[in-house]
Amino acid sequence: MKKRLYLELENCIGCRSCLAACTQCGGHEERNRNYVYDVNPLVNRQTMPLMCLHCVNPACARSCPAQAIQIHETGAVLSALVEKCIGCQNCTIACPYGIPKFDTEQNLMYKCDLCIDRTKDRIPPMCASVCPSNTLQWLTDEEIENKRNQFNLDNGKWVTSLPYLESETNVKVNLPGILQGITKLY
Amino acid sequence: MPSDKNNKIPFNEDNYTHNIERNNERKLDRRGFMKTLVGAAGVFAISSLPWGMVAAKELMGLGEKEYPHKKITDVSKLAIGDAMNFKFPGDHDDAILIRLSEKKYVAYQNACTHLRCPVFWVKEEGEMICPCHHGKFDVETGVPTAGPPRRPLPEIQVKVENGAVYAVRVKRYEV
Repeated sequence: MKKRLYLELENCIGCRSCLAACTQCGGHEERNRNYVYDVNPLVNRQTMPLMCLHCVNPACARSCPAQAIQIHETGAVLSALVEKCIGCQNCTIACPYGIPKFDTEQNLMYKCDLCIDRTKDRIPPMCASVCPSNTLQWLTDEEIENKRNQFNLDNGKWVTSLPYLESETNVKVNLPGILQGITKLY
Repeated sequence: MPSDKNNKIPFNEDNYTHNIERNNERKLDRRGFMKTLVGAAGVFAISSLPWGMVAAKELMGLGEKEYPHKKITDVSKLAIGDAMNFKFPGDHDDAILIRLSEKKYVAYQNACTHLRCPVFWVKEEGEMICPCHHGKFDVETGVPTAGPPRRPLPEIQVKVENGAVYAVRVKRYEV
């Protein structure tokens, strides 16, 4: 039973639990690999978390000249392999969501890898397990489909941006206010 | 505005120069190949050490090692043209002593240099013959004259003292 990360953005309360969890997660060396953005800074208080959307056809991996970014069999796009990454920062430019971070000290790109050591054993990633407001959820495709049916989508599919840069992602996001003609049904 | 080809036709990323699928990772990438190469070189280097030992032994003159002189037989017990077997230098190193004339004795380690069958002396033909594959050796020098063996028999130097024949040393192999 494959599960995916699902972001229900309107639930976010900006508590930064996901950042703290990621920072303190084993193997992350006190670096967090996710972001909490202000959606409309200085206008309202809405925030949104963003880790990595784990594109099916990832621009970062395609742009990497050393093939240091690999796609795991679960679909997660892994962080740069330490022995391959040459620190050229192509991926940080290529990613349309600005996900990969660059560590100038280690000359190494690092990004969210969906906690692959946990998710390969079907344990939810650390951020999803600590999120107190159900913004980050770890759901089966069936449950995500039920979530999607709460919306009226004019184009019938969820894409992460319009006009879309990377069509399909392994992390599913609901994008209130970005998709056209949406009304939540509950 | 992106063209309508965007994300419709995915790139084929599974080729030898560019692969991003973790499961399609090459079993033997360049680095692995170099490691294999160096490892194999190391294995060959280590496996050549025995020959190095042999060479060192030669260089340190161990090949010239003197063994304790060993009495083979009394002169009176070995007629001219006859041969007898003995062991020299060790208890398992078979050797043959041949009396060619009144004063001339020759001795060889008699394991045939082909497949180590015992070489014996055929008095009628005046040759040393290996029975297994009909190899023949020249009795004067020990060099092969017929059959499969290609290297001479190791010669044992003998000396005659006080009416007895002694084995002195094994001559080192020379090409």
